[in-house]
This record gives sequence, C-alpha cells and structure tokens, in this order.
Amino acid sequence: MSNTSHEVASGPYHSGGAAPSALSAHSVSKRFPGVLANDSVDFDIQPGEVHTLLGENGAGKSTLAAMLCGLYQPDNGYIARNGQRVVLGSPRAGLQHGIAMVHQHFRLVDRFTVAENVILGSRNLSFVLDRRSINERVSEVAESYGLPIDPNATVGDLSVGQRQRVEIVKALYQGAEILLLDEPTAVLVPSEVEKLFENVHAMTAAGKSIVFISHKLGEVVEISDRVTVLRGGKVTGHVSGRGATDTKELARLMVGRDINLGVQRASHPIGHEVLQIRDLSLDVNGVSVLSNINFNVHEGEMVGIAGVAGNGQKELADTIAGLITPTSGSVSIGGALATDRGPIHARELGLAYVPEDRLGMGLVPSMSILDNLLLTRDRHVVVDRSSVRPEATRLIDQFEIKANGPDHLARKLSGGNAQKVLLARELSGGRTATKLLVVCSPTRGLDVGAIETVRRLLDDARSAGQAILLISEDLDEIMSLSDRVLVLYRGAIAHETPGESANIATVGAAMAGLTTGDNA
Amino acid sequence: MRAPFRIIFEQRAETPKYLSALVPFLSVLSALIAGAIFLQATGYSASETYSNMLSDGFMSYRGITETLGLSTVLICTGIAAAFSFQMNLYNIGGEGQLYLGMIGGAWAGLALGPHLPSFVMIPLLLLIGALAGAVWIFVPAFVRSRLGTSEIVTTLLLTYVASSLVKHFINTPDSFFRAENSAFPQGRNVADSAALSPIGDTRLYPTFFVVVVLALFLYWVVKKTEFGYRIQVIADSPRAAHYAGVSANRTTMSVMLLSGALAGLGGATLIVGPFARLDQGITLLGYGYAGIVVAALARNNFAGIIVSGILFAGLRVGGEKLQISTDTPKHIGIMLQGAILLFALGGEAFRRYKVRAVRMKAVAQ
Repeated sequence: MSNTSHEVASGPYHSGGAAPSALSAHSVSKRFPGVLANDSVDFDIQPGEVHTLLGENGAGKSTLAAMLCGLYQPDNGYIARNGQRVVLGSPRAGLQHGIAMVHQHFRLVDRFTVAENVILGSRNLSFVLDRRSINERVSEVAESYGLPIDPNATVGDLSVGQRQRVEIVKALYQGAEILLLDEPTAVLVPSEVEKLFENVHAMTAAGKSIVFISHKLGEVVEISDRVTVLRGGKVTGHVSGRGATDTKELARLMVGRDINLGVQRASHPIGHEVLQIRDLSLDVNGVSVLSNINFNVHEGEMVGIAGVAGNGQKELADTIAGLITPTSGSVSIGGALATDRGPIHARELGLAYVPEDRLGMGLVPSMSILDNLLLTRDRHVVVDRSSVRPEATRLIDQFEIKANGPDHLARKLSGGNAQKVLLARELSGGRTATKLLVVCSPTRGLDVGAIETVRRLLDDARSAGQAILLISEDLDEIMSLSDRVLVLYRGAIAHETPGESANIATVGAAMAGLTTGDNA
Repeated sequence: MRAPFRIIFEQRAETPKYLSALVPFLSVLSALIAGAIFLQATGYSASETYSNMLSDGFMSYRGITETLGLSTVLICTGIAAAFSFQMNLYNIGGEGQLYLGMIGGAWAGLALGPHLPSFVMIPLLLLIGALAGAVWIFVPAFVRSRLGTSEIVTTLLLTYVASSLVKHFINTPDSFFRAENSAFPQGRNVADSAALSPIGDTRLYPTFFVVVVLALFLYWVVKKTEFGYRIQVIADSPRAAHYAGVSANRTTMSVMLLSGALAGLGGATLIVGPFARLDQGITLLGYGYAGIVVAALARNNFAGIIVSGILFAGLRVGGEKLQISTDTPKHIGIMLQGAILLFALGGEAFRRYKVRAVRMKAVAQ
C-alpha cells in the first residue's frame, strides 16, 4: 500500500501507466506579504496512504494544507485530484472533491448534539429533520471506522479527544476521501493519541488517504507511510517507509542541524525554599478547583507538575502569580506572604510568570516587542522607551528571536518566537531579580528547534539558582527536565516522585486518576 | 455557479501603510461621486454644486475662516468619541455631554463672569464646561466599569435627557439662563469677560488653536505615556492587563470621564465663541453626533481628527451657503457626510482583505 518512491511527484499525464495520485500539488507557490510561504512545492498522496507533512512552525505546512483543501489558491502551480487538474475555490469546493480538513481548533457548535454538528453545512437536508435516520447514519459512518460515538451527546460535554472524533466523523459523513489532519495530536493525551492512530489505520484500510500534519517526530515515524519535510517554504526531503527512518535524520531535515532533547537535571545542589504553598484551596462558584495543596520549590530546583488539562493547573499558576485569591491557604515567595496582594506585589517578591496563553495574556498582540517587554516592568509616567531599546535589541539577539527589531509586533511573531519574547522578558527580571519562575506549557506548539532552545533557557535559569515550577501537559518534558514530579488530579496532588526515578506508567496512571499512590 | 468567476475576500496578513492613507481619501472621493450621481439625477449640476461648495467652504477667505470656526467644536466632539472608541468603549452620547458643557459654560459665564477678569474667566469657563460633560457621563462610566452595563445605551439615552434639560432651562419662565426681556424664549448672554472676540472680521475664535493643540497633546499622551500604554493594553487584551496588574476598572472610568469632558469642552467653546449664551438651537445641529463620524473617518487618530474635523466643517459650511447662493438644498452637505461615513466604513474591508477574482470553470461539480 505504501509508495516507496523517493521521487518528486511526476505530472499526472506522463506517469507511465501508474494510477494517478489521489491528490497532488504541482510546484505550488504561495506568497504572503513579506514571505514566500510555499516555494514550488510538490506533494502527492495515494489512496490508503498516510503521508505526513513535517516541518517547523512557519515552514509552510499549513499553507500547503490550506491550498490542498481549497482554503487558499496557489499563486503558481496547480492542484490535481486523481490526475485531473482542479481549482478549489473554497473549502466547500474541496469537499465536493472529497477533500476535508480537520482543523487544530475545532469548528463545532458546543450546544448542538454530535449528529447536529455532523450534518451542519449539509445542503441536502429535508425541511423537517428526520433525527432518527440521521442518527443512524452518523453512527453507521462512525462505527465503520472504529470511531464509536453517541450521536445524541451534546458536543459541549465531550472531551477534546471525542470532539476531534466528531470532526473526523463529520468529514467522513460528508464523503471525504482525503482527510487533512492539522496537528491532530497537539490537543490529545497519550491514550487518546493511541486511539487516534487506530482510527487512522482503520481509515487507510478502507482506502482513505490521510495527510498528517505534525512536528512531533516520534509520532510521525510511527504513523507515516511517507514523510515530506518542509523548511522555509521548500521541500527539504521526501522520506519513505514506516519506521525506516530515525528521528534524528528527520530533525536534521526539518531544522537544518542536529537537535538534542535529552534529560537535563539540576547540576548544582538545591538551596533554600523559595516558593512555599500551604494548605492551598480554591473554590470557584462552589466547585472545588484546588484542594489542600502543599509543596515547596527550592533555589536551583525545577519541580514539574504533570496532569491532564483542566485539573487545576492554570488556577494553581494564577494563584501563585497573585491573579486569583485562594479560598484558603497561603502562598509565600522568598519567605514573604504573597496571597491576596495582587500580581505586582508577587513580582516585587521575585516572581516571573510565563502563562500558558502567550498571545493575549502573556503578550499584548498589537504591541511591539519593546512595549511587551515593558508590560511587567515599572513604567514611568512618560514611558521611557528609548532607554529600554538597547536591552530589547540585546534580548532579541540573545534569545535568537526572529524579528525585524524591537518594533516588530507581537502578533506577527511565530509561536516559538512569541514564546521566546515572553521568556526573554520573564527571565531577564523586571521589578526585581527573578527568584521564582512559574512556566506553563512552555514548549506547547513550538517546533523542535525552539523546544530545544526553551529547554536550554529553563535549564540555564535553574543553574543560575532560580526556583522553577514547570506546569505542563507534555509528560516527556516534565520527565526529562524536573528534579521532582508532582501529579495534579482534580485539583489535588495525586502523586509525588523524584525526577530521575519517575516512572511514566505510574505518573500516567496518576494523571488518569487511577492511583492515589504516594510513591513511585 | 453560472458566473464565470467569483469574488473572494482574502484576509491580509498586514495592511500596507499606503493603504491606510489611501482608503480615507478614496472613501471621500467615492462619496463625492455617489453624491454627483444623485445631484445629476435630481436635476442639479454636480460640477457647479461642488465648485460652489469648495469655494464657499474652503477656498474663500470668508469660507475657510467659517469652516475653521465650525471645526473647533467638531474636533472636540471627534476627539471625545475617539478617546473612548480607542479603548473599545463606545461613548455615543457626546451630543448630550456637549449640551451639558454649554449649560455649565453658560452658568459660569452668567454667574461668575461679572466678577472675574477675562483671562481667568475664559479658562475657568472652559474647565467648568468640561467638568459638566464629565459629570454627565459619570453614571454610564461607573456602571460600565463596575457592572459592565452597555455604555452605548446609557450614553445615548442620557442625550435625550440633556436635550430636555436645555429646553427646560430656556423655556422655564424664571430660569437663570433665560433672557429676561425677550418675547421669545432664548438664552441670556454671558458677561463680556466670558466671551472671546473673533479674529478680525471672521467667525473664527482663538479656541480653534487651543483645540488643535489639545488634539496633538492627546496624540502624544496616547503614544508616549503610561496612561496611553494602559489604554492600549486593556483595549487589545483585558487578560494581559489582568496578568500585568493593570486595573481595567480605573482606566475605563478615567477614559470615559475624559471622553465626556472633551465633549463638554466642545460645548463650552460655543459659549465663549459664536453663541455667547445657552441656545436651544444647539439641539438641532448634531455637533456631538458629527464627532462620531469625524472620529470614524480619522480611524480614531487624534492628529487625523484635526483634518477630518475641518473637512466635515467645510462640507457643512459649503452646504449651507449653497442654499443661499443657489437653489440647491443645503442637505446635500449632510448627505455627503453620511455618504463619506458609509464609504469610510466600507473601505475598512479593503484594508483588511485583499479582493481577488477566482475563475469558477474548473470547480464545476
């Protein structure tokens, strides 16, 4: 089933009798103001194949996918379906050709049922909906690909993994033969990823083609029949065969150099307690979000908090940062009480906080890098930008931020570069020297090169004696960086273990609420 | 599906600089063309009408001074609107705050004017007018910042109350504001020390220059100060403001009060300037509402408001002269104002989107 050709896709009319590709792009280019997002890119996919588009953020994966599904039109080159040249003027036109995209951010109506969401946008519905037969057909489509789902469930009540399943069922229901999955695993926990891959196999077995868009090397190797690597809008390599490639090779093609994402632990002995959390509880609208949390973080120590999203991580971080007042208990930073004194007070005690939400919370999108550096600092009545400018230039340089200079707007930065700006600000100290760094999902959505940089920066901060609280859903990251691992489950600490002896199965079980064990 | 191509709006990654300047210009041009079609269709000569308006509004000594005089109040209400709009607060009650500025200014001119010299009285009158405008927006500002009540509704409705208040002060027999020995209800003139003389034989008052300087000063405040920085943070992302410890409540309150004060100041300039008394005719002129249009055309840029304020003033002045010199109805000027606003808002689409035609042939089922 898998095509092992190393060649660039040949034209549809001279492929020597071989079956034409289900979908192909022929030297397509797309230019946006200031960037050539795709530069003569060739791509093709056969029926029953998983073909991965691998590349860093900004490499052009999403642009190519958008052209394949009709969201954008290529400036040059063309798209062909079964060897026939087509113009896909809109996503609907793409759908008419059996091409559907499952976006990273779901496009579902929370208040509708699964079945209602699936039929949303169908043009051949009767005036009065025959719910029973619709439900039957939705279930039928879902089950034939091993995607069991209750058509009457309200989407708002479903987990992220289930919602993604609804999106896939919707695409299949609409007759998609080719599915483009845009970073589908970014929002899933490990067990959901496994499930998704089973579904992918069921779909390819039925002759569907899957264009898988990702930058996570491990899963790319696991799932792909073929991989096309993009860098800077150009194809840097076609790699074939499942499991035949090692991730190092792919990383090199993707980033252009060797990458190290190994284990990093404290190299210096840890010092005094910096963060002390005592009996911390938080109720929101009568619901307990955090209950009776106690832990410390020391100088030069990184404590990792693992957990599935929505188990109180965000609230814990916001409480430490002084943005939320806890119902009971206390937070102390450097021995001084920080509870209920507001975010500026917490920062004066030496807190730096990298929130999970970069653009919109950590950074102001419409402001320049320079102005964003000023966000958590002491500003004078007349904002003195000229004295901060040299520092901004230095930080851009030091953190290898790809920008046109201090006046580059935050919203025009890629995810990785936005994160670097945020880290640059928080690590460089504002009102006082940083003693405690709280970081949430610091590498989420970043590409491999940026992940390596961010991890190195965190390790450097630890070596410099800062206390670091790392809150992340990325278990790998927690395991390879933390000196101590805590698991947060339903707002309580369900598990605690030293970093080097942490066991992924035990931690994973605690994340799923299966144990209340207190040692590894 | 029958059309050979179809128009697609593609979102721009960024707006080219030249376009930001070109769009307002083209909006005005398009509005003039639309107006020309209307004029021709109704039997007037467009070229004649426009050349009359141009010379009466801008190109003659009398016209341009009149225009700059009228622009004083429009720039005031324009910056009042823009000051709140830039923080996504929609104070559309500038009209009412303007009335209050007039009432406050007239009170000061009547009650304090006889006892104070001009160089104290004029600034004081302007200040009291601004304060009165701020007082009028206080309740909308308070409930907006504490309870999130829509300021659009509250500020708009208070305009009607303010309008009634003006009529009350003029029509009530023993009103403090009413002229005593007049057959018709009308306002009493303020003390001489509270009225400025126009420049030469024109109707242009020195307040014009004060307002221009104020607009430029506010431009600087927004771009360069901590207060302006806070406004920008809150406008763009309230959560980032919360994260950084910037109080949205306090800033909302200050911005709305200032917005009301600026509209009130506009009312006070009418007292020291052309009116010299509280006049219920103000309720028919719509200077406050015009400020919304002035701000929209300048896309809330304070320096741009000086230009758009003068442009709109010229259209009004030119339009009114038309009726006197020719038989063209003066409403053509007002119609053009409306058309400019519509085209300016429509033009926003071109700033944000790139328009492309895509051939449809190959997309057949």
